[in-house]
Amino acid sequence: MSGEAADASTPDASAPLLDVTDVHTYYGESHILEGVSLSVDRGEAVALIGRNGVGKTTTLRSVLGLTPPREGTVRLAGEDVTGRPTNEVARRGVGWIPEERRVFSQLTVAENIRIAAPADADTQAALDRAYDTFPALGERPNANAGALSGGQQQMLAIARGLVGDNDLLLVDEPSEGLAPQIVADVAEALAAVAEETTILLVEQNLPLAMDLADRFYLLDNGQVVADGEATRGVTEDEEIRRYLSA
Amino acid sequence: MSLAVPLVAFLDALGQFLRPSTLAEVILNGLSKAALYAMIAGGLTLIFGLMGVLNFAHGSLTMFGAYLGGLVLVLAVGQATGPLARVAYFFVAVVVVFGALAGLGGALEVGLIRPLYDRPPIYQILLTFGVTLVLDEAARIVVSFYGLQPISDWQAALGTKPGPLSASYEFAGVSVSGLALFEILVGAATVAAVWGFLTRTRYGLVVRAGSEDSEMTEALGIDVRRVFTTVFALGAGIAGVAGLLLAWDPVWGASVPLASETLLPAFVVVIIGGLGTFRGTVYAALLVGLVDASMTWWFVNAVDFSGLPQMTIFLILVLVLVVKPQGLFGVAEVGGH
Repeated sequence: MSGEAADASTPDASAPLLDVTDVHTYYGESHILEGVSLSVDRGEAVALIGRNGVGKTTTLRSVLGLTPPREGTVRLAGEDVTGRPTNEVARRGVGWIPEERRVFSQLTVAENIRIAAPADADTQAALDRAYDTFPALGERPNANAGALSGGQQQMLAIARGLVGDNDLLLVDEPSEGLAPQIVADVAEALAAVAEETTILLVEQNLPLAMDLADRFYLLDNGQVVADGEATRGVTEDEEIRRYLSA
Repeated sequence: MSLAVPLVAFLDALGQFLRPSTLAEVILNGLSKAALYAMIAGGLTLIFGLMGVLNFAHGSLTMFGAYLGGLVLVLAVGQATGPLARVAYFFVAVVVVFGALAGLGGALEVGLIRPLYDRPPIYQILLTFGVTLVLDEAARIVVSFYGLQPISDWQAALGTKPGPLSASYEFAGVSVSGLALFEILVGAATVAAVWGFLTRTRYGLVVRAGSEDSEMTEALGIDVRRVFTTVFALGAGIAGVAGLLLAWDPVWGASVPLASETLLPAFVVVIIGGLGTFRGTVYAALLVGLVDASMTWWFVNAVDFSGLPQMTIFLILVLVLVVKPQGLFGVAEVGGH
């Protein structure tokens, strides 16, 4: 028994990087997540798909502690982080690339990257890494982030997640509101990021999600209703299409 | 004929006002007012920008700084203390006041304001308004007990000012008081220090990011609540140092009503500059200081109605709110937690 308790509070390299078990999350009295369970192993890219409003973003917010679950557990490498402050969860290696990007519009591109790098990190190395991955950002390091195009802001949001030296990136709707050509650029960037970081991806663009992910979970009404290997075939699956279009 | 007389008087006054020596004096007086406004309002805007809290207790913190700093000076300065030593004691008082007020501000944030962050803003407004009533009454009781004029200026503190700061100086026909120059120097140094902190340090970067989106900042692994406490303490400390400076200024002086006398112009400056933007607050302080000094000259030298200079500040406020409701440098939304 004491061994189990110790396992729950300390990192375990053999445990899934992220393990969400029977999570129930509410907004006020609205019951949004009704027992969500999922896991993500190290090195995987996992897609969370579903219609608008079924709880995909809330799942990410529950993992981060931004909207803490009332029931259930969230474990990072076996360590129980349920209800911990968001900054603690983030410092355990969880990065967030939120819906609508949320770059700091009054800060410059370079400042957005610097603030995302750990306090003790080599700032110049972080900037170099971001600009190597996204050369367009390196061309305007002193521009206010608010002056960038939507696609460049998305690049900046991804760069911010990249330089945080995160073990797990929670990526929320990266293609939302972007032109098709820009979506292709973002997908390419995310594919490069996925080669070195574990990703939990929320995405409504099903072909994009299936191209990027190794596995998927389908969410409906706050519950996981299907899961499996992510292949292009999933986009043709009648049952899944029914859930997504309902 | 009846219109010609005031017109001639006006043109005569305009001629005097536009003389280089008069303009230089007005600008120097305006800068000294701006320095004080920037110091008082700077902390207020930092706190609002990051936390979304309108701190009604800010004026009381300035008043506490005036009394505490005055006390340090009264205890340290004697009849025989020379001017340089008095200035040195002033900077000792700066350290004491900043430390004490920052500690008080930090304790207020952690103990009283923090539990209310998740509630609507009206809770924080009512709380800080309640705090200002308690602080003002506490100050009134203490200064009455020790017989230190709670309503009028504390003369003993005013008396610790070194002679050269009470004197006026002439440069190329321009007359300026030593105190005005000292206020400009201290105010400029404070603004430069805060600006350097915000733009040259990682902590300042965190404050600016947190002012824009505290949830996103938290998700980058930064303990935003700790930053809230630091900024509240910093704002309270600067308000206290501004109060210390006012304890030497005969226009203000250390008194209990100083709390409300400073809070109102501070709010005006913060609103004109744009709630939550330090840069806007500094520019607004310059605008308000210079307009205030100009109008003071006009209503002292051309029109005998000394109540009007204050009114012009509020007219600027109304004008800005009508033309640009978010203030000169304001963004659509700040604060939030």
